[in-house]
Amino acid sequence: MARIRFEAVSKQYGHGPAAVRDLNLDIRDQEFLVLLGPSGCGKSTTLNMIAGLGDITHGALWFDDQIMNNVPAHRRDVAMVFQSYALYPHKSVFENIAFGLRMRRVPEAELRRRVHDAAERLEITHLLERRPSQLSGGQRQRVALGRAMVREPSVFLMDEPLSNLDASLRISMRAQIRHLHAQMRSTFVYVTHDQAEALTLADRIVVMRDGTIQQIGTPDDIYERPANVFVAGFLGSPAINLLEGELSTQAGVPCFRRGDLVVSLPAGFQGENRAVVLGLRAEDVGPPEPDGPILRGVVDTAMPAGSDQFLGVQVEGYMAFVRVAKDSRVREGEAIAFGLNPSRLHLFDKASGRSLRTGMAP
Amino acid sequence: MNTAPLIVRPLLWPRILRFCLLAAASVLLLAYLLAPVFWLVSSSVQTEREIVSIPPHWIPDQPTLQNFKAIFLTGLGYASPSANGADPTSGGFIPSVAGNLLPSMANSFIVALCVVVLNLLVGVPAAYAIAKLRFRGRNLALYVILATRVIPDIALVVPFFLVVRKLGMLDSLASLIVTYLAITVPFSVFVLVSFFEQMPDDLDRAARVDGCSRPQVLLHVFLPLARPALVAVGLFAFLASWNEFLLALMFTQTAASQTLPIIVAGITSDFTVSFSFLNAAGVLAVLPPVLLAVIFERYIVSGLTAGAVKG
Repeated sequence: MARIRFEAVSKQYGHGPAAVRDLNLDIRDQEFLVLLGPSGCGKSTTLNMIAGLGDITHGALWFDDQIMNNVPAHRRDVAMVFQSYALYPHKSVFENIAFGLRMRRVPEAELRRRVHDAAERLEITHLLERRPSQLSGGQRQRVALGRAMVREPSVFLMDEPLSNLDASLRISMRAQIRHLHAQMRSTFVYVTHDQAEALTLADRIVVMRDGTIQQIGTPDDIYERPANVFVAGFLGSPAINLLEGELSTQAGVPCFRRGDLVVSLPAGFQGENRAVVLGLRAEDVGPPEPDGPILRGVVDTAMPAGSDQFLGVQVEGYMAFVRVAKDSRVREGEAIAFGLNPSRLHLFDKASGRSLRTGMAP
Repeated sequence: MNTAPLIVRPLLWPRILRFCLLAAASVLLLAYLLAPVFWLVSSSVQTEREIVSIPPHWIPDQPTLQNFKAIFLTGLGYASPSANGADPTSGGFIPSVAGNLLPSMANSFIVALCVVVLNLLVGVPAAYAIAKLRFRGRNLALYVILATRVIPDIALVVPFFLVVRKLGMLDSLASLIVTYLAITVPFSVFVLVSFFEQMPDDLDRAARVDGCSRPQVLLHVFLPLARPALVAVGLFAFLASWNEFLLALMFTQTAASQTLPIIVAGITSDFTVSFSFLNAAGVLAVLPPVLLAVIFERYIVSGLTAGAVKG
């Protein structure tokens, strides 16, 4: 059981730029924390520091009340699952799973019990005598999970564990990983660049970019109340629409203005002639309501997508994508108006990219 | 209109011709390579008179094991020039060094084995460190190690000799072991570095998270995987030591420390040369390397190419 705390941690490789800068992060005991960000954002570096696989240049890393900076990887009660699986090619599946226990001198009977137990839970009992080279990608992933599970570690680290699997397998493995977390009562830290994975799995998500934390919050926080343009753009599929324009006040009501388009905003957004970015998610449009904010445009393309359809709408020179019901009959070239839910509009300062929502942490 | 694709059947006879040419070339090459070896073995069981007969007898008429008897049963009086009653001037006799052949073979074995073992003991940790640890001067270390191999052996003979003499190691096996290590370790490190570098870093990291210290990672994960490279490196060190002549000639003076190449070369410097005996000694000299090569054949190719691909 472990609470993990980063205190002003920086990490630099050689003389290059810092891979992680001034990281302050408090990971709760038994929490499922997802580090999310594009490649090169420092999320794997952060994970490696927890594992003890990379030195910490500045700052302190705590497990509970112990400083871990100089504790080597093999002395930490940490297990890790790698994107490449990293199974030992010369060992059988059984020995792969048992290896960590052997290194810790777990008695043979206990070791067998734990390996078989894990194998049963992962449904790989029939594979125990095989070599990794004889397994499929999904099976290897299970073995890698098993190898980490049997250790019953207080910290469970996963570095993009599902990236090499095909889409359908990925979904079922997500469920399995959630079960695993529920059963194991360990602190999980999970690195991914897949926002859907993060939203499904996490108790809290840490969005990172260029070695710094952009936002920490529950999946709902991150999705519904992104702290800045980057976070807003990184989550959601299709990507959020970001319309540049101006914030002004019309008859005492704050408005977003872009060319002829005027969208009234809820009270709370303030500023006169301020350059802003309006964030609008594809699913946050509905039928126009008399008093509500309205988005007008011209349908450019209609793309049926099974259960519903996406429309590409030209709005004052910006191609916005919105999701509408499948049965709404629209033709390309037709003028169209949508009602917007004021509480689901996102507004960012153009210069800093920060959310202008009041009471929002920067 | 007929749109069926036009099928051009390759003619048969060019393929037959190709096969014949390839086969002929292979046979020629094989004969070129194997004929001397065959002659070596064949003449080692011929009498001196038969060896010099024209045309040569590839298959001996009267095979004899007298040379091998002289080598292996030296204590039983076979080694004296008069033992087989032959005339020393005709060359059909057993040279006096016959008795030294087995001891020198033992010397060669001891030296080669020590060099192999020490090569692996030194080379494996060095290569692992260079391949998998991040430390300042990592590349420099590799280049310096390799640079020592740019200097030809002959240039090193005098410095080596002075060092060995100062250390009081002249005429001892230790002098050979030390100098052979200096020659073989850089190559071993280079081959092993290339091999370790090919192994995924995640394997190293996984083992460390699983509870291995660095030496344990090496022992439990990398060494079992590196077997082909270890065999290639060990074999190379063995052959280099087994065949080495120049340094052994300089550093050893008595039968107590002389190695097989020195003794065999000595046979030719006798007043008259017994070719049949020389060839018998030659057979003994090539036997151990050939046996090793046959035993480890399946490892050698993958081991050496593993080192070769990465520049």
